Amino acid sequence: MMLLVKDLEVRYGGITALRQVSIAVNKGETVLLVGANGAGKSSLINAVIGLVPVCGGTIEFDGNRLDRLACDRRARAGIGYSPEGRRVFPSMSVADNVLSGAFGLGRERQRKAFAWLCELFPLLAERARQPAGQLSGGEQQIVALARAMSSFPALLLLDEPFLGLAPVWIARISEAIRQMQQRGTTILMTEQMARPALKLATRGYVMRGGEVRRSGTIAEIRELALAEEYL
Amino acid sequence: MWRRARSISNVVGLGEILSVVVLALAFVIPVASDSPFTHSVANQTLIAITATFSVYIMLRMDLLTFAVPAFMGLGGYAVALAGLRGGVTDAVALTVLSFAVPALVALPLGALILRLRGVYFVLVTFVLTEILLLVIFETPGLTGGSNGLVGMPPIDLFGLSIADNRQVLAFAAGITVLAAIITAALTRYYRQHFASIEENEVLAQSLGLVVWRYKVIGFVVAAGLSGMAGFLLVNMLLTAHPTSFSPISSVNYIAYAIVGGRSSILGPIIGSTLLVWAANIFSIQGEYSQGLFGLLIMICVTLAKGGIVGTAILLWERYGPAWPWGAARASGLAADGARVRP
Repeated sequence: MMLLVKDLEVRYGGITALRQVSIAVNKGETVLLVGANGAGKSSLINAVIGLVPVCGGTIEFDGNRLDRLACDRRARAGIGYSPEGRRVFPSMSVADNVLSGAFGLGRERQRKAFAWLCELFPLLAERARQPAGQLSGGEQQIVALARAMSSFPALLLLDEPFLGLAPVWIARISEAIRQMQQRGTTILMTEQMARPALKLATRGYVMRGGEVRRSGTIAEIRELALAEEYL
Repeated sequence: MWRRARSISNVVGLGEILSVVVLALAFVIPVASDSPFTHSVANQTLIAITATFSVYIMLRMDLLTFAVPAFMGLGGYAVALAGLRGGVTDAVALTVLSFAVPALVALPLGALILRLRGVYFVLVTFVLTEILLLVIFETPGLTGGSNGLVGMPPIDLFGLSIADNRQVLAFAAGITVLAAIITAALTRYYRQHFASIEENEVLAQSLGLVVWRYKVIGFVVAAGLSGMAGFLLVNMLLTAHPTSFSPISSVNYIAYAIVGGRSSILGPIIGSTLLVWAANIFSIQGEYSQGLFGLLIMICVTLAKGGIVGTAILLWERYGPAWPWGAARASGLAADGARVRP
C-alpha cells in the first residue's frame, strides 16, 4: 500500500472539512477523487501533503506515519504536489519554477530532471527564461505539473489539473500523466470535471460534504458520476 | 563574446558584478579628495551600504527587519571591548569578530523568531533593538552604560596603522566590498530558494524546501553584515555609544533599501548613496533638513514604486534597446523572483 488514510478529520475553525475519511492507494495505480465544490477533495490532498493540520485519524505513506511530519519532510519523502489553480512563482523563470520542485536533488540531478521534462514538454525549453507569470493558464499548468514531477516522486498529488483548461491543454496534460503512469508513479488526483480524469484513473472515490460516499472501479465511478451529474 | 558574458552573468549575476565594481570605486575617494566633508559623508555612505545589505538579504525572503541597529551594536561593542579591554587592534581579527558575534547571537534567535511572519516578525525585531539598548544602559561596567566606550585604539592592518581619515575611509571601502561579495554570494547561491520563499512560502514548503533553514541562514549572515557595519561605525567614531545604535535608525536602513530598490543588490548601494548624501546636504538647511529628507523619500517612493533600480530596469525593458544577452532580469541584473514591477 502506497498511501493509507484512516478516519481522517480536518477542521477549519468550527467547520468540519473532512469527517472520518478513509482511502487507500496502491503502488502504481491512479486513484481519482470526484466530488462537487466543497466536497473535501482539496482538503484531503492538502492534509496528505501537510498544508492543513489534521484533527484525527492517520496518514501512512509507504508504511510510515506522515501526519506528524512537517510539510517539507513529506515532500522529501517522495510526494510530489501540483496545487489547485496553477500556483506558479510568477516572477521566477520557467526553468527555476520547474527546478523548485527538486530542491533536494542536487544540481546535477536537477539538470537531468529538467532535460527529461523538456523532452516531455518542449514548451519548457522554449520558455525556460521567461517569467512563469507571463504564461497562459494551460502553460502555467504544464509548469506546475512539471514542477511536481521534477523530483521523480513516488506519489503524485494532482489537485484539479484540468480546471479551466482548453481541450488542447487537457489532452497534453493527460498525455503527461500517462507518461508518469508508465514510469510506475502512483497518482492521487482530484477533479470536478471528471470526464478527462476518468480516462486516466483505475479506481475512484466519490466525496460529498467532507465524507467518502462511494468507492469502486472506474466503471462504477463513471456511472455514479453520471448519476450525480459530475460529467 | 556575448555568449561568454552571458554565461558569466548567469552564474555570478550582472547586478552582483556591477555592485562590487561600483563599490571598488570608493577606493579612489581618499586619493582624489582632500575634503574632510567628502571623507566623512563617504564613510557614512559605506557604513549605510553595509548595514542596508542586511535589510536587502531579509527582503529577498519577504522579511522586514528592524534588528539592524541591534546587530550593529553587538558587532560595534564587541570590537570596542576587544580593543579597549583585550588590546586587540588587528583589523582582520576585529572584522571576523564583528561578523561572528552578532551571527552567533542570531543563530538561536533566528531559529525562534523566524517562525513568525509579517507584522509579528517586524515587531519582535524592533523590540530586539530596544532590549539591546536596555542591556547596554544597565551594564555600565561592561559597556560604559550611557557614556559608551571611548578611547578605542586605532586598528592596524598587516602592521599598517589605520589612523587618519583617508586610511579609515579606504578600510571602510574594503569592508563594504567584502560585505557586497558576501551578500552577492549568498543571494546568488540561494537565489532559487530565497525567490520561492519571497513569492509563496507555503508553496515552497509543499515542494520540499526547508523554509526555516534558509531563513536562518539569511538572518545569520544579515546579522553578521550588520555587525561589520557596526565595526565601521565604531572605527570611524573611535567610540561605541548607545545613541549610534538607536532603534529608529533601522527606519533609515529600510528606507535606503526600499528607495534604492529591493529587486537588485544595486538597490542598497544606490539608495544609501542618494539618501546619505541628500541628508548631509539638507542638513545645511538646518530646521528644514528632516522635512526635505522626508519629501525626497516620498517623491522616490511615489514615482518609483519598484525603487530606483527596479524602475530603471522596468523602463529599460519597456523602452530601451534589447539587452545584449537576454532580458535584464534573465541576465541577472535583477534578482530572480524579485518584484521589479510596482
